[in-house]
Amino acid sequence: MSAQLAATDPHEVAHDAGHDHAGHDHAGHDHAGGGHDHGHHAVVENNFMGLPNIKLAMWAFLGSECMFFGSLIGTYFFYHGKALAGPLPATIFSIGITSISTFLLLMSSLTMALAVDAMKQRKPTVTRNYLLVTALLGATFVGFQVYEFSHFVHLGLKLSTSLFGSTFYVMTGFHGGHVTVGVIWLTMLAFLVHKGKLNPTKLPINVEVAGLYWHFVDIVWIVIFTFVYLLEFIQ
Amino acid sequence: MSAAHHDHADAGGLPHSHKKAYIRLGVILTVVTAVELALPFLKDYPDIWMPVEPMWAPLLVVMSVFKFGAVVGEFMHLRGDRDIYKFLFLSPLAIAVIIFLLLGSLAVALFLPFGEGVAVTAVDVKSGYVRPTKSSGAEPPLAEDKFKAAFAEAKGKNFAPGKTVYDKVCKACHGDMGEGKAALGFNLTDDCYKYGGSFKDLYVTVADGRAGNKMPAQAGALKSEEIRQVVYYIRSLKGTNAPGGQPCVGDKVAD
Ligand code: HEC
Repeated sequence: MSAQLAATDPHEVAHDAGHDHAGHDHAGHDHAGGGHDHGHHAVVENNFMGLPNIKLAMWAFLGSECMFFGSLIGTYFFYHGKALAGPLPATIFSIGITSISTFLLLMSSLTMALAVDAMKQRKPTVTRNYLLVTALLGATFVGFQVYEFSHFVHLGLKLSTSLFGSTFYVMTGFHGGHVTVGVIWLTMLAFLVHKGKLNPTKLPINVEVAGLYWHFVDIVWIVIFTFVYLLEFIQ
Repeated sequence: MSAAHHDHADAGGLPHSHKKAYIRLGVILTVVTAVELALPFLKDYPDIWMPVEPMWAPLLVVMSVFKFGAVVGEFMHLRGDRDIYKFLFLSPLAIAVIIFLLLGSLAVALFLPFGEGVAVTAVDVKSGYVRPTKSSGAEPPLAEDKFKAAFAEAKGKNFAPGKTVYDKVCKACHGDMGEGKAALGFNLTDDCYKYGGSFKDLYVTVADGRAGNKMPAQAGALKSEEIRQVVYYIRSLKGTNAPGGQPCVGDKVAD
């Protein structure tokens, strides 16, 4: 199975070979699955299928995140319209502010994709710059969210005010937390690229994997924006 | 196995760039988002809006699914990537969608504020308020003289039980002193009422809610006795004209 996979996948083979030349610190690493050496010895961070573990792990993690956010958003709707106290969504949502932050996050997905692309084109400086722009857009998004939350609290909506308050803050709060983690992560990557610790021949996969995370955070917002905010204005 | 590896190495050893495709997709996503946003503005033009309205919610869902798919498929490159990644991501996603739909269909009142959908018997012509056949679960209002006697009794206790309920539930919209808040809740300290100022009117207002559910029905959340107590308390606020009060909506009601 795995031999066949590796053989039919020129991309991954080329990828492995790239690592091969770059990293000289492979000795002592565990060749999981023993007999699956396909002739390149640089399968160290890859699993028995010849795929990078870190990328597999990220996709599995994002799969679990789907269920996490799916439950949070589902819960929000389960209790929608059942708030008995405090302000209601239709009265306090500001479509203007939310559209701006939505747009920022959308653009950050684009710059993230361009950062990964530049790494594949062996242009680390470009990658670093796009990473910084992405982090900046994300930080601005978080800023808007902080403003939105404090505005809502000012209007009398707290976490414990009503079912709306609880489900809304938990859902969007977890999303904002994810964006914050992403901003920190991307900033660190930009720093590593700047220092040359991360470059097209050395662990470029780290940028790609961070990108997966970042795009995921964006699609969660696509769903929240449409279902939580926009649908509120249809009565 | 996925045969769609379009970023294979070319002769120079570099995979070809997706830059143009990414930027094109970024533009498309922006345009779709702009279309989604057109909604709040369209509402001001009933001529255009009315025919679109029934299709709008499904359209929003379609557009959001499109954006979701575009980001996952292209930016995250899942479309051309290995099946194992697709499996790892798409199967939990399917579970998430099922959870979402289950929760949604369980919540019968998904986009209906409750109180609506109740059979109606009487329409208050002046306010346009549709009165439900029966109060949503709360006891029927007392006779006005019984209310008055109970009000006098509550006065003896300084309306303490009613104030407790008020501070917990009503304050957020009607203000600390009952002065009201712009766009959130009416002034309860003037002598002006939209839905009537009798004890019975106040009781029905609080129990069943008003104006869709902007004034939320309390019947499901408070016991009938708690509703009566809070009604006595807000009745005691009448005429106190708290500073910063919201303007009068409705008619003046004499004592
Ligand atoms: C979510 C915010 C909110 C909460 C919480 C709330 N109200 Fe209201 N209330 C409103 C709004 C909005 C109106 C005006 C409805 C309209 O636009 O016609 C209103 C109207 C009223 C009226 C009618 C006044 C009139 O002019 O006829 C009374 C009485 C009232 N509320 C009492 C209460 C009491 C008592 C509580 C607490 C148990 C409470 N409200 C909680 C928002 C709220």
